[in-house]
Parts: sequence; structure tokens; C-alpha cells
Amino acid sequence: MAMSEMEITKKQNALAAAGKKNKPLGTTFKEMYLGPIVAFILFISMWQLIPLALGLPHYILPKPTDVLEATVSDWALLGEAIRITIFESVIGFLLSAVIGIGVSVLLASSKILERSIYPYAIILQTIPVVAVAPIVVIWFGAGFNSIVVISFLIGFFPVISNTLMGLNSVDKNMDELFTLYNASKWQRMWKLRIPAAMPYIMAGLKISCTLSIVGAIVGEYVAGIGGGNGGLGYAITVAAIQVKTSFLFSCGIAAAILGISFYLLVSLFSKMMLGSWHESAMKSEK
Amino acid sequence: MTTKQKQAVYFQNVSKIYNTGTIALNHFDFSVEEGEFVSFLGPSGCGKSTALRMVAGLGSPTVGEVTVFDKTPEELIKNTNDIAFVFQDANLLPWRSVLDNVLLPLELRGGNKKEKQEAAVKVLEMVGLKDHLKSYPRQLSGGMRMRVSIARALAAKPKLLLMDEPFAALDEITRQTLQMELLDIWEKEKMTVLFVTHNVYEAVFLSSKIAVMSARPGRLSSVIDVNLPYPRELGMRTDPAFSKYVDIASASLENHEHRKETV
Repeated sequence: MAMSEMEITKKQNALAAAGKKNKPLGTTFKEMYLGPIVAFILFISMWQLIPLALGLPHYILPKPTDVLEATVSDWALLGEAIRITIFESVIGFLLSAVIGIGVSVLLASSKILERSIYPYAIILQTIPVVAVAPIVVIWFGAGFNSIVVISFLIGFFPVISNTLMGLNSVDKNMDELFTLYNASKWQRMWKLRIPAAMPYIMAGLKISCTLSIVGAIVGEYVAGIGGGNGGLGYAITVAAIQVKTSFLFSCGIAAAILGISFYLLVSLFSKMMLGSWHESAMKSEK
Repeated sequence: MTTKQKQAVYFQNVSKIYNTGTIALNHFDFSVEEGEFVSFLGPSGCGKSTALRMVAGLGSPTVGEVTVFDKTPEELIKNTNDIAFVFQDANLLPWRSVLDNVLLPLELRGGNKKEKQEAAVKVLEMVGLKDHLKSYPRQLSGGMRMRVSIARALAAKPKLLLMDEPFAALDEITRQTLQMELLDIWEKEKMTVLFVTHNVYEAVFLSSKIAVMSARPGRLSSVIDVNLPYPRELGMRTDPAFSKYVDIASASLENHEHRKETV
């Protein structure tokens, strides 16, 4: 009896020690990161080797080294383009966030307003912004203003439809609680509906932030530069005409990195806003 | 029952028919005296929650009238904090801390900030949550959440506390503790409690009066005065007198179940 109990304690200690030491570092690294890293290295090597093996010229399929070279040699151009695109899309995004949330709160505060306008908001969302972009250019002129407006338009509708959905998704019991304490319409809005809509609003902002970059690049295609320096969209247009394929790859990758960074930034903001309470924030904690 | 007591709640021939044609409550006549602890006991579908919600002004009778302290519920809600409601799930706002949840009813009414804070802390102390003021609902157990919910209801000093199966989702041990605490608070604060439950033991243990209700259509089937002394102790559950009331209440419930089947 005593022996076996001692053995059990020993085993227990050994397991606990093993769990403490090895598990977090070894297994999580293997499980989480090793796979993607190996896949990435394999992909890059194949990309490097295949054009070499098939003898493809760099203007058809540039190798990673070509892309790197183009990025470094044309950095002045690329860096400036990135800076301009960031500026345009951030302004477009902020406009769509502020106006989108504002309009939603206004619409949601009146049932009649919401019922009459919401269907159009949905229909407008389905219009491909590229199709109306030339109209925007006619109204706002070539260059910066039009680009920001197009970026705003593309990001605006996800914010408005998500926010409206959130403002109307308030739990029935909580709503009744506010009724019981004779809450005014605006108390209900500020203390109940907007906080309850936060997760929806944040989901809308996450969609809208990547779209605003798409909007800025599309805007640059359509609206040109209007005399100033061009952003990524403009750089892409120029590079395409000159068949600078390696530089086109650089621009594409830069746009992707921009989108991802913007998304991560908004996700971080969303986590801060939702703080310690909401389930969607809780899940990512694990 | 003494005649000098004032009427807290009065259902005058109340019927409630939903748009679907379901009769939730049929000719319900009942009154609650001030200071009583009354339970609505019955199976699901007997209209006990419907009746309770009407007292809070959440839904109005199709026929008849509900008065609370000689006024309509809507009037009371608009002008006073006399009515408080505890929902089956704790119904806390997840983005607010325990303290802020309890402050909510006070905030909605306006007034002195410091006084409100003091009142909230006081009721949280009463339910034993003084050390959790800054916690968020998701960090609490089901029993603790219900305590916060009760504290929130008490914060505005109601004269009438309405509770809709508040302990139904809790485990037996937590339920017993909360029942004891609720009785303590009731005796201390001298308010009227209207408590909805489908648990016979709970109804007998807590109440001074039980309204037994039956389903389809929901109606009052009998009223039982529980003449057991307060304060009530957990040991009372094995008392013959306690068992007697449980038997009476169960029989009253079964009677109607049986009749319903034979009809």
C-alpha cells in the first residue's frame, strides 16, 4: 500500500514537472509555427527553382530574388506609393467608420427612418463601387479627393449594415430591464444599444479596413494622381505599362502586407474596446 | 390575514389572450397584501410568469385590471422605483462591472453620484459581494451573478420585488443558500415579494401564501396560507408541518393535472 502510494506520488511529480518544462515551449512551437514555416520555405524555394528550371524570363514570372532586387532598387518609388496609399485609405476608413456609425445610430433611433432607409442601404451596398467610380471622379475631380471618396464608399456599407444589425440585436430581457427603470430613448441608446452593438461594430470595422485599401487602390486606377504623387494603384498602372513584372510583384506584396497590418491594427483596437467582457474577445484569449 | 394591511397587488378578473389565440390567463382574481411573500406555483404554461410580468407593466391584460399600490404598473414605473424585477437568468450587462451593474437603475433615474455609489455598495454588501465590486459578470459563478441581480433590484429600494423563477437554473446547494438570504433580506427590508416558481418545496419554504395555478387555460386553482413561523431554517424541511404544506400544494397541483386529462 505505502509503496504504491509513493510510486503514484513520484509519477505525479514527474508528470507535473514534465508538463511545466517541456510542454509550453516544445509542443506549442511544433504544433503552431513549425508547419507554416516549413510550408513557407518550401513555397519560396519552388518559386525560385521553377522559373530557373523552365527558363522563364523575369517579365513572365520573376523569381523571389528578382522581386527583392526590384523592391530594393525602386524603394524610393515604392515607399512613397505605400505612404500615399496608407494616407488615403486611413482617411477613407475613418470617414466610413465615423459616418457609418453616426448614420446607423441616427437611423436606429427612429423606427420609421430605419424602415424607410435601411433597404436602400442594403441595395446600395450591392452596387460595385468600381462601376460608379467614374461618376465620383466627375464630381470630385481627379486625384486625392476622389480616391478618398471611393475608399470611403467601399468601406461605408459594411459598417452601416453591421452597426444597424448590432443596435437591433439587444437581448429582450435587458431591453425590458431598461423599460422597468423608465429609461429614455437616448439612455437606452448610450447605455444599452451601443454597448451591445460593439462586437458587431468591430466586426464591421474589420471588414471595412481592408476594403478601404482596396478602395484606395481602385480609386488610384480610376482617378489617377491629379498632379500629385501616385500611390500603389498608380505605381501598379505605370509598372504594368512598362512590363516591370518584378516591381508589380513588389507592389502586390506591399498591398497585401498593408491590408494585413491594417486588419491586425483594427483587431487590436477591437480587443481593447471589447475589453474583458465580450465572448468574441474571450475566445481569442484562449 | 389582518385587515389593517394595505393591498400591494390586485388582479381584478384578469385575462390575457395572445395574438395566436392562446389563453395565457383566464379570469384571474387575486390580491397580495403589503409585506407578504407570495409564490405563484404551477406547471409551465399556467400563466404565472404572464401574471408577474403584468405587475411590472411588461404586457397588459386583455381583459381586467392590475393595480399595484392602487395605481397602474405603468404609472408606478414612470414615477417611482417601487417595483423591481429579477429575471430567471441574472440578466447582467456583460460590459459593466458588478458595481456598475448595480448602479444602473440609480443612474437611469439621475441624482447625486456619491449617494448612488454608497447605496450600491451597501446592497452589494448585503448579498455578500463586497469584495467583487470590480469583477465582470463572466468572472462570476451562476449563484454570484444571481446575487448581483438581486442587489441591482434592491438598489433602488423597491416596495415590491418581483422574481421570475430566479433560482431555477442554480444547483440545489446554491439555491438553498440564496433562499435563506432572500428571506433574510425580505424580513429586514419589509417589502412585498411576488415569486414565481414551479418548485413545490421552494414555494412552501419561502412563502407566507401560495397561489397554485393550473395550465391550459392558465388560472388560479387554489390559495394556500403557509402558517409556518419566520425566520425559517433549513432544518424545517424535515418538519412534519412543512411536509403537510408540501402535500397540500402537490395535491392541489396534481388534482388539476388529473382533471385536465380526464376532461
